[in-house]
Amino acid sequence: MRARRECLACREKKVMIPLNHYLLLSAFLFSCGVLGVVVRRNAIIVFMSIELMLNAVNLSLVAFGQFLGDATGQMLVFFVMVVAAAEAAVGLAIIISLFRNKQTVNIDELNILKW
Amino acid sequence: MEFFSPTDLLGSSPILALGLFSLIALLVNAFLKNSAGMVFYVSAVGIFVAIGCSIYTFPMNATAFSDMLLVGGYASFFSVLFLVIALFSMFIAKPYLEREQYHYGEYYVLILLATIGMVMLASSADLITAFLGIEMMSVSFYVLAGYFRGKLSSNESALKYFLLGAFATGFLLYGIALIYGTTGTTNLLRIVTMYPQPFNDPLHIIGWGLILIGFGFKVAAVPFHMWVPDVYEGAPTPVTAFMSTGGKAAAFSVFLMTFSVPMSMRDERLMTVLAVLAAASMLLGNWFGLSQTNLKRMLAYSSIAHAGYMIIGIASATPMGQQGIAFYLVSYALTNLGAFGIIAMMEKENGGNLNYEDYAGLGKRKPALAALLAMFMFSLTGIPPFAGFIGKYYLFASAVQSHMTWLAIFGVITSLFSTYYYLRIIVYMYFKEATNHEEIKLPGLTFATVILCGAGIVLFGIVPSLIFDLMKSIF
Amino acid sequence: MNMYEIIFYFFAFITVASASVVVFSRNIIYAAFSLLFTFFGVAGIYVLLNADFLAITQLLIYVGGILVLLLFGVMLTTNTVNIDIKSGSMNVLAAASVVAALAGLLGGVFWTSDWFVSKQMGELPAQTTSKEIGTALITTHVLPFEIASVILLVAIVGAAMMARREGIKSQIPSSK
Repeated sequence: MRARRECLACREKKVMIPLNHYLLLSAFLFSCGVLGVVVRRNAIIVFMSIELMLNAVNLSLVAFGQFLGDATGQMLVFFVMVVAAAEAAVGLAIIISLFRNKQTVNIDELNILKW
Repeated sequence: MEFFSPTDLLGSSPILALGLFSLIALLVNAFLKNSAGMVFYVSAVGIFVAIGCSIYTFPMNATAFSDMLLVGGYASFFSVLFLVIALFSMFIAKPYLEREQYHYGEYYVLILLATIGMVMLASSADLITAFLGIEMMSVSFYVLAGYFRGKLSSNESALKYFLLGAFATGFLLYGIALIYGTTGTTNLLRIVTMYPQPFNDPLHIIGWGLILIGFGFKVAAVPFHMWVPDVYEGAPTPVTAFMSTGGKAAAFSVFLMTFSVPMSMRDERLMTVLAVLAAASMLLGNWFGLSQTNLKRMLAYSSIAHAGYMIIGIASATPMGQQGIAFYLVSYALTNLGAFGIIAMMEKENGGNLNYEDYAGLGKRKPALAALLAMFMFSLTGIPPFAGFIGKYYLFASAVQSHMTWLAIFGVITSLFSTYYYLRIIVYMYFKEATNHEEIKLPGLTFATVILCGAGIVLFGIVPSLIFDLMKSIF
Repeated sequence: MNMYEIIFYFFAFITVASASVVVFSRNIIYAAFSLLFTFFGVAGIYVLLNADFLAITQLLIYVGGILVLLLFGVMLTTNTVNIDIKSGSMNVLAAASVVAALAGLLGGVFWTSDWFVSKQMGELPAQTTSKEIGTALITTHVLPFEIASVILLVAIVGAAMMARREGIKSQIPSSK
């Protein structure tokens, strides 16, 4: 509630953080996520990095939606969250079933098939 | 306010039918013991009902659910294709899973759910539905790839597919976000009108670039192909058959639809980028295909190369190219389903019998099977009178039509490479002595499916107008 | 610097710092817990952006759902508490340069592009967004909404099937 009122106030005074700042933050998060995916080798951390990428997407969608005055962006964020939850459930199940057979979750130790 | 118009319900009827029958199948699976066979029949009925709905909506030309779905024409054509692929892959799967003692009802439920995603993809008129369709299909595929949950190769395949698939989704979504940010809409029909001038906004260009990366992963184009060989090799053979045909066809249907927006302006830069992607996929796919010894892996590289041929159709941005893709998808789906059906019959426990040597002397041991496999290989190579030839001809001709003759020549040269590894299997079957004399069992259901696929590629190869007449009303 | 900028930079700092920890930390538990702060920081920025519904949803789904799942995953696979950042310098160098190029491209374009701010089309009316989102979910976006629930069904069926134990043909070494 408190945060809401503050934001109303920020609008009245016409003080706005420019869109660019939100987008830069989102670009940073996205690049962090990409770096994590390509550099880390623990499957769970790779998955966390993917979540970072999705959060970056959501952030830029909300920022765009706000500056466009359009609710579609927020709708899309809602769907992205649902999909992220579904992916998390399936992904963790896959990781667990691999761990059961192989006792590792490091992706560069998976060598039955060449990585 | 009126919530659902008849168009909404009719337009989504294939999706509704599939959803309904997948729920029935799930309940049957949950409440009846040893019900996998029953689930199979329920799912098959569901697919037939959905095919009926799709055919019924074919003459319509509308949108449903406030411009979220396309109805009729394009959507119906591809829906029928996906549904037939799903049905055939179930026919291949049933005897295979029974033999491997992994016959559970969830398999068919997941196939139905993945098919809902594919139908959504072909009918999406909005990037939101496209995204949800891709996810629905991919999440089902991740699970299906890991379906042999006690087998390490299947686990690994699922994990690789999952991580790289989710990674690609990140790119796709970021691209959608940027396009939404620059046009204010996610609707494909409106993006065109909101953005009439040529693309010069860098944000917008990057947005399409990121979407291209996402789709590149899904259709398995170079340089986003690294997951393909491992996933195709490690997944259970019927799943590979389904992924490599249905998954690819669905990804191409949405790729074609989405990129018809930026391509409608015939942007030279984008055409060049797509042409380079196509050339790289054809070259590397065929090049690595040459050195494979495992048939599933060879078909995986061949699948990369075929993605390259089909991207030519998108790059050329002509109706001929689009029709070429649609035709090529039909012929590729039938050919690959047939080839994987034969591989599934030949395969022994724990992934044995998958190498070229294991097919030596097949021409004497099982002449009918060998003849069918030879036909599929001829069709993949693009030798008339099989359907693969017509598809390739149209795609290459479309490249020439849009003044990209180099791409067509490149395609022909790389096809020549591919003859080596496709025809090598024929050499093994007919000109080498059998080393392995184990009895090969031919389950009736799979064999009948393979024969149907073979009949299909001959029929469409000789009378391609059966499909091209349909497509005149679509493109 | 006014109040709102301070709030923005505070949350932005939390997000950036904790995201870096996720990517570079050697300890998977630290990574998982700093992911909590990233999600929290992003939620704070949603509030600044007037997206109250999403801020709450972010906390419920990401922190309450996904993060808990991840922690379960970490706990069930805990023989890997200390993991090195991927070795093999060529791989890291190549990866880092590609990512740096991507970050530079995105950052540069975002920084220079004021296309959008200059012709702002307006803002969402300053009221709670849940009503608008709720209306959209059952009118214009009813189809994606239903499909999203089917995706959750896929996830339930899939996860239950993958994680189930019975019927596994044992290839597991008997040591564990």
